[in-house]
Amino acid sequence: MSKKTAKIGLTCVVLVLAFGGLLYSTLSEGTEYYKHVDEVMANPDTWYGKALQLHGFVNGEPGRKRDSLDYEFYVQNKGKVVRAYYTGIVPDTFKDQSEVVLKGRLTSQGFMVEKDGVMAKCPSKYDPAKLPVKTAAPPGTAGTN
Amino acid sequence: MASLGSYLLLTAFVLCAYAAAVSIAGARRRSRRMVESGVGAFYLVAAVMTVASAVIMYSFVTGDYSIKYVQHYSDSVQPIFYKITSYWGGLDGSIMFWVFMLSLFGSAAVYVNRERHRELIPYVVAIISMVEMFFLFLMIIHNNPFDTFITSTPADGRGLNPLLQNFYMAIHPPTMYLGFVGLTIPYAFGMAALITGYLDDSWLRAVRRWTMMAWFCLSFGLMLGMIWAYEELGWGGYWAWDPVENAGLLPWFTATAFLHSVMVQERRGMLRVWNVSLVIITFFLTIFGTFMTRSGVVQSVHAFGEDIALARLFTGFMCTIVIVSFSFVIYRLPLLRSRNELDSWISREAAFLVNNWILLFAAVFVLFATMFPTLSEAVTGQRLTVGPPFFNKWMLPIGLILLFLTGYGPLLAWRKSTLTNLRDQFLIPTACAIVVGTAVVALGVRIWSSGLCFAISAFVAGTISQEVWRGARVRQGATGTDVLTALIGLVGRNKRRYGGYIVHIGIVLIFLGFAGNGFKREEQVLLKPGQQAQVGAFTIRLDAVKRTDDGAKEMITAETTVFRDGKELTRMYPAKWYFRKHEQEPTTEVAIRRGFAEDLYLVMPAFELGDQSASMGIIVNPLVNWIWAGFGLLAVGTFLALLPETVISFALASVPSSAVTTSLLLLSLVLWPAGARAQTGMDVPVAQRSPLERQLQSEIMCMCGCRSPLGSCPMAPNCSHWKPEREKLAALLADGNDHDAVVAAFVKDFGGQDILAAPIDKGFNRLAWIVPYVAAFAGLIAIVVTTRRWQRPAALAGAESSIDPTLSARLDDELRNLD
Repeated sequence: MSKKTAKIGLTCVVLVLAFGGLLYSTLSEGTEYYKHVDEVMANPDTWYGKALQLHGFVNGEPGRKRDSLDYEFYVQNKGKVVRAYYTGIVPDTFKDQSEVVLKGRLTSQGFMVEKDGVMAKCPSKYDPAKLPVKTAAPPGTAGTN
Repeated sequence: MASLGSYLLLTAFVLCAYAAAVSIAGARRRSRRMVESGVGAFYLVAAVMTVASAVIMYSFVTGDYSIKYVQHYSDSVQPIFYKITSYWGGLDGSIMFWVFMLSLFGSAAVYVNRERHRELIPYVVAIISMVEMFFLFLMIIHNNPFDTFITSTPADGRGLNPLLQNFYMAIHPPTMYLGFVGLTIPYAFGMAALITGYLDDSWLRAVRRWTMMAWFCLSFGLMLGMIWAYEELGWGGYWAWDPVENAGLLPWFTATAFLHSVMVQERRGMLRVWNVSLVIITFFLTIFGTFMTRSGVVQSVHAFGEDIALARLFTGFMCTIVIVSFSFVIYRLPLLRSRNELDSWISREAAFLVNNWILLFAAVFVLFATMFPTLSEAVTGQRLTVGPPFFNKWMLPIGLILLFLTGYGPLLAWRKSTLTNLRDQFLIPTACAIVVGTAVVALGVRIWSSGLCFAISAFVAGTISQEVWRGARVRQGATGTDVLTALIGLVGRNKRRYGGYIVHIGIVLIFLGFAGNGFKREEQVLLKPGQQAQVGAFTIRLDAVKRTDDGAKEMITAETTVFRDGKELTRMYPAKWYFRKHEQEPTTEVAIRRGFAEDLYLVMPAFELGDQSASMGIIVNPLVNWIWAGFGLLAVGTFLALLPETVISFALASVPSSAVTTSLLLLSLVLWPAGARAQTGMDVPVAQRSPLERQLQSEIMCMCGCRSPLGSCPMAPNCSHWKPEREKLAALLADGNDHDAVVAAFVKDFGGQDILAAPIDKGFNRLAWIVPYVAAFAGLIAIVVTTRRWQRPAALAGAESSIDPTLSARLDDELRNLD
C-alpha cells in the first residue's frame, strides 16, 4: 500500500470516527420516541419521563380554562385514551376528532405537552383520498410543497 | 377528453421507448439517420406532452368533473388562475407536469447541443427518454391523472385547500420542478460521456449553464416555499427541517458542490471522478426526495398517504440508477484519471475540495436525519424522531464553515499560495472580521453563533470588496479609464466569476438573516379589548375583535394598535378567514409589519366573539427581510453569470448600474403582493348587501391592479378603486338597473371587459376559452412538422434485428414494464 493511500485511508477513518462519535452523542439527547397513544398506554409506567411524540386523535372538544391559554383534552387511538395538558396557542384544526402529534412527556397525571408541541396534520396538495377527510387540512408546522 | 389524455400518455411512452432504442442503436451502428430519427421522436414526445397538458388544463378550465383528478383539486368557483395551477395540485398531475417539463427541457438541451456534441446526443436522448418512461409508466399504471369516475359524475369539485390558494404556492411547485427537472440534463450528459468514453471536459461545458439554471430554479423554489410558510402558516418561522423541505434541499447541496468543483476540473483537470459522481448523486437525490415524501416511507406531519406500490416502483428505479451509473463510473475509471496532483493544501483547489466535502456531508447529514425515524424503526423496531434542534445543532457549524470558505477560497491562489501572498491577501478581510466581531461583542451580543456569523460575514464582504477593488485597479492601469468603467469592463469580461461574487454577497445577506433568528422574541398571550402585551420594544394593544363577511368568506379580525417606546406606531389586523365550503379549514391571516431591522409578526389563532377576547401570538423576527433581499442578489448574480457574452458586453457598457436596480425592482414587484395581502380585512363595513349586489361584486374586478373581484380586493379599504367602484355599483343598483345593465354600464365606463372577472362567453371573448384548444392545435402542428422532417422511421425495422445482445436485454427490461 502506497504512502498516499495510507494517508487518505487514515484521514477518512479519523473523520468517520469523529463524526460518528459526535453524531452518536448528539443523537442521544436529540431524539424522541414516536408512538401512538395505544402503544404508550398499554404500559404507561415504562414511558414516564421519556421524550415522546405522541400520535393520536383528539377525543371530545378540547377544554380551555377561561381567560387563559391552558388546555386540557383527551387523545385516543384504538380505544386507549390519555389526558393531556397544554399551555399556548393551538393550530386551527385542533378540535374534536382531529389527528395530532404531541411532543412532551408522560407523567402519572397525564401527558404534559411542551411549548409549541401540538402539531396537527399539515396541509398538502398530496392528500390521497384514502385518508379520512377530516384530517386532511390544518396548518401547524411548516411545510412547503 | 379523458381518454384522449390517456392515449396521449401511452403515445408518449411508446415514443420514448422508440427514441431510446433507435438512438442507441444508431449510435452503435454509426447510422446518422437512425440517430436523427431518435432525436425526432424525442422532440415529438415534447409535442405530445404539450398536447396532453393542454387537455388537462382544458378539463380544469371547463370543469370536467368526470375526471377524478379534476374533481379532487378544483371546483367551479375557483378563479381561473388557480384552476390552471391545479394542474400540478396533486401527485398525479405533478408527475405529468414533471414529464412535460423534462421533455421540454430535454428537447431544448438536445437542440442547443446537437452540433457541438454530436457523439453524446444519442445517449443523452436515450437517458432522458428512459427517465421519462419511468414517470410515464408510473402514470399509466398507477397514477393516471386522466382516471375517470366509473359510476356517477359529481356535480362539482372538492376544491383546492384554501391554504394553497396563495400566489406563492401557485408558483412554488413549478419552480421546484424546473430545478429538479433541470438537474436531469447534467446527469444525461454525464452518463452519455461515461458511456461513449468522451470524457474530456466538453460534456462539462455543455451542462454548466443548465446546472446553473436548474440550481437557480431550485434556490428560488426553496425561497418561495419559505416565504409561503412564513406568511401563510402563521408560526413565525420559515424553515422547520420537515422532510418535504429537506427533499428540496438535498439536491441543492450537491448541485452547489458541483458548480464549485467544476471549476477545479476546468482549471486543473482534477476531481474528474468526483464531478461525474456529484452529477449522478444530484440526480439520484432529486428522485429520492420525491420518493421519500410521496411514498410514505418517511412519516411527516404532512398528510401524505402510504403508498407501497409507488414505493416499490421508486425503489426499483433508484436501484437501477445507482447500479448502472456507478458501474459505468468504475468501468471508465482509467479514463477519469486526474491530470494533476494536489500541490498544496493552501491552494484554491484545496479550498474547493473542502467546500465540496462539507456540502456533501451536509447532504448526507440531512438525509440521515430525515430518514432517521425510518432507519431506527427498521433497526430497533422503535420509531425515534429527531427534531429541528438536532438539525440546527449540526447545520449551524456546517453553515458557518461554508460561509467562512466563501471568503477564504477566493483569497488563495491556484496550485499553491506563498506566505507573502497570504499575508497580503488576508490582511484586510481579517481586519474586517475582527472589527465587526469586537463591535458585536461590545454591543452586548451574547449568542456565539450569531456573533460569529456577523464576524465571518464581514470577512466574506471584505474578501469580495478587496477582490473587486484590486481587479478594477489592475484593469484601470491596463486600460487607462476611470475606476467605474474599469469595474464594469472587469465584470463584463469575467461575468461568471463576478456573478459568483454577487451570489456570495447574497448568501452573506441570507446568513445574516439566519443569524437574526437568534434574537427572535416570542410571546403567546390572551388579550381582551384594552389589554396590552409587551414584546421587545413593541407594545401591542387589542382594540376589538370584529366579524365581517365579504361573500366568499367570513373574516374574524383582531384590531390592534402597536406602540413603540410609548408612541403609537401603527395598527395591525391579524385575522382568521373561513372560506365557504371550507369552514372546517380556516386560514390564519398573519399581520406582518416589515422592517429593515425586524419584522413584527402577529397571529390570532383563537378568539372568543362573546367576550371579545383573542389569543395572540406576537413574534419579533429580526433581519428576516435580509434573507429575501439575499435571494434577490443571488438571482442578479446568477443571471449575470448566465448571460451570453455578447449581451453582457453590450448591455453593461451602456447601462451598468440600472441593470441591477431594475432587477431588484422587478424582484420587489414579484414579492410585493405579500406585503399587501397581510394587512387585510380592516374596517370593512358590514353593510347590508342584496344577493345581486354580492354576485356583482364577485363578477366585477377591482381595477387597482390587484386582479381580484371587488368583493375581495386585498387592498380594501385603502384601495384607490375599491370604494368608488363599490359606490358606483350600489348607485346603479339603487337606480333599479338589473344585472346585465350594471355589467354593461361598467364595461362601457371602463372601456372594456377587463373589468369583468370572467369575460362574457360571447363573440371575441370565446378566445379566452379557446386558448387551451390553440395550445393543443399548436402541439398537433408541431407533431406534423416533426414527423415530416423525420427521416424514414422504417429505419427501426432494420435496427432491431441487428442490435447487440446487451442492448436487446435492456430493451427487454424496459418492455417488461409494459405488461
